[in-house]
Amino acid sequence: MNVSGKMKCTLLFVACVFLPSLFVSGCGGQEAEEVTLRVCNWEEYIDEGGWDEEELIELEDGTKIFGENNLADDFEEWYFEEYGERVKVEYSTFGTNEELYNQITLGDVYDLACPSEYMIMKLMREGMLVPYSDDFKDVSQERNYYSKGVSPYISSVFDTLSINGENLNSYAAGYMWGLLGFVYNPDEVSEEDAAHWDLLLDRNYFRRITIKDSVRDAYFAAIAINCYDEITDEAFVGSPDYHDRLSAALNRTDPETVQAVEDILIDAKNNVYSFETDAGKADMVTGKVVANEQWSGDAVYTLNQADEDGMELCYSVPKEGTNLWFDGWVMLKRGIEQDERKQRAAEAFVNYMSRPDNAIRNMYYIGYTSVISGGDSDLMFEYLNYCYGAGDDEEATVEYDDIDYFFSEDPTGDRYTVVTTEDQTKRQLFAQYPPGSMVDRAVVMACFDDESNDRINRSWTNVRCFDLERLLF
Amino acid sequence: MSRYRFDRKQLVLPYLIYLILFVVMPLLVVLYYGFTDDQGHISFTNFASFFTNSKMMGTLVYSLVIAVMVTVICLLLAYPVAYILAKGEYARKHSFLMVFVLPMWINFTLRITALKEILTLLEGNLAFHPFMNTVICMVYDFLPFMIMPLFNSLTKLDKSMIEAGYDLGADFPKVLTKVILPLSVPGIISGVTMVFLPAMTNYVVLDMVYNSTYIMGSLIGSYFSSYDWNNGSLISAILLMFIGFLTIITDKIVSKEEGEEVRI
Repeated sequence: MNVSGKMKCTLLFVACVFLPSLFVSGCGGQEAEEVTLRVCNWEEYIDEGGWDEEELIELEDGTKIFGENNLADDFEEWYFEEYGERVKVEYSTFGTNEELYNQITLGDVYDLACPSEYMIMKLMREGMLVPYSDDFKDVSQERNYYSKGVSPYISSVFDTLSINGENLNSYAAGYMWGLLGFVYNPDEVSEEDAAHWDLLLDRNYFRRITIKDSVRDAYFAAIAINCYDEITDEAFVGSPDYHDRLSAALNRTDPETVQAVEDILIDAKNNVYSFETDAGKADMVTGKVVANEQWSGDAVYTLNQADEDGMELCYSVPKEGTNLWFDGWVMLKRGIEQDERKQRAAEAFVNYMSRPDNAIRNMYYIGYTSVISGGDSDLMFEYLNYCYGAGDDEEATVEYDDIDYFFSEDPTGDRYTVVTTEDQTKRQLFAQYPPGSMVDRAVVMACFDDESNDRINRSWTNVRCFDLERLLF
Repeated sequence: MSRYRFDRKQLVLPYLIYLILFVVMPLLVVLYYGFTDDQGHISFTNFASFFTNSKMMGTLVYSLVIAVMVTVICLLLAYPVAYILAKGEYARKHSFLMVFVLPMWINFTLRITALKEILTLLEGNLAFHPFMNTVICMVYDFLPFMIMPLFNSLTKLDKSMIEAGYDLGADFPKVLTKVILPLSVPGIISGVTMVFLPAMTNYVVLDMVYNSTYIMGSLIGSYFSSYDWNNGSLISAILLMFIGFLTIITDKIVSKEEGEEVRI
């Protein structure tokens, strides 16, 4: 038989169209049983297991916590036992919020992602998220570990944030949180100097301090320097709506403020060691720099590394006000696509991550602080005690008691106190669970509108570029 | 229907497809974004504002100064080495060449990290001389790319030409400037193009040696990470034109010199 060219084409076309569909329908039977959950998280932001035996965490009440396998794998098993359904987690990672956003908008499909607060708000504003179900919020269910265990403080912060009239609590479930501050070397930098943002402009530390190479973190530090007099004024601090006013002041984006911030950042650029993306942690430990603008979680990591090298570093949060940041789990519309089984698996994933023992595994592994306070389980506080409680043989101990805001519904209560060594009030404990007095002065940096973002990005470019005018005139 | 016949010309097909998919198409996309605004209308405002903004021009000048310095230093360092290697009477010439090219086998971030520690040891604080450190690290990084093409063109150099120069009474400086250098121009040009463009855009090196001033590459990166595809693409397009311009000029010089040779 002589097959003509045209016919060949047709055959090829038919094959191309139908063969793949055969495969798809062939898998169809299986698909009904197994749910695939595409999770996208920060790099190194989950317990990957493989702990050494001596890393076993044994709490006072006898609970033993040990990371043997990757937590995402453990979830697959747990989900099958709990819901009788197979789930396959496809886990991938991203490096920056902008990278995640680019991936999502350029066509990568994820069901569950873990961006930072401003990116959550941006995604909410663009209508890309699926709200959590009422079932997820039902605290009477045993396995709703998130709703049962989330810290009342974090929940109240979420309540104050809304986009398009909708509350952040309906679209996001927190994961890790902390404050922005400085890691510093107490031998070189005084505690008082490290307690203010203008450390970045201090000539005494010329070329010995690093600042984050990120628009938002640099902008925040500079704006706090810019309105220092205003926000430390007694009348301002004493006013009944202090926190709202602080938040408004530190979130300004009007042209004059942006210009002032630009000038401050240019001064800072001429004074600091460098803008760093990731090198700051290692440079603190090797002693290249004496202070480093850092998120609390990375600070804990740096402090731990330095401890191993026999070097004592401290952490401080500027007194005039700082940035409260958090990362949270959001479900993406393009991934979930109204598939109820998928949404249930995604919500179960968040709940599994929020189960106190798993939250502890993550905290131990990555050094950040979980938003989980445990609810009726005391495990989280036990872990805090396990990490930082002073032994009987310690001499200089202090009571670290301003943490009720995080663990209890009653922020003025006095139930949670940890007896710890004195240095911990300036070190890891302070970084992981800052005292309430600090947290009162922390504000969330909002998601700016496009116009403000343009203005800020342009000013950032101005800071970083070599100015020809200065050379010529 | 004619029978299928293999033609040698068809061997070019795989590369042609590659060229269209991964070189021509992305280039067109870059040009499209570079000369449209965010609504997709053709616009030259971004282009115009680049050349009137002192900060943008400053970045261009800063990158140029770095790139020119790196290229010149690389050339000055590489030429004698390549000449000695190519003309010397060594037994295992290529083994010696290998020693110079060896660093290329190690990942460059690793090499720069090591160099950074050495520089810290020498200078104490790297932040005092960010420009100098950038040039040092880039020279270190790109030197093999200069040595290789120079070595290749110098080994091919006809020895009898040099001997003829001496026979006609020229001393070494004269032979070098009148015979060896002109004959190795193709090697110099390919070496220069291999070093110049990366030196203008490789901002990873700047990040690693704590130079906080942007070069063209960092500018592109910062625009893309703030979702500004138009300005990012525009700068890529400007760089492209710049390099294209440079290539045309050097081509002209080469063909002119070759023309002169023919006249001799």
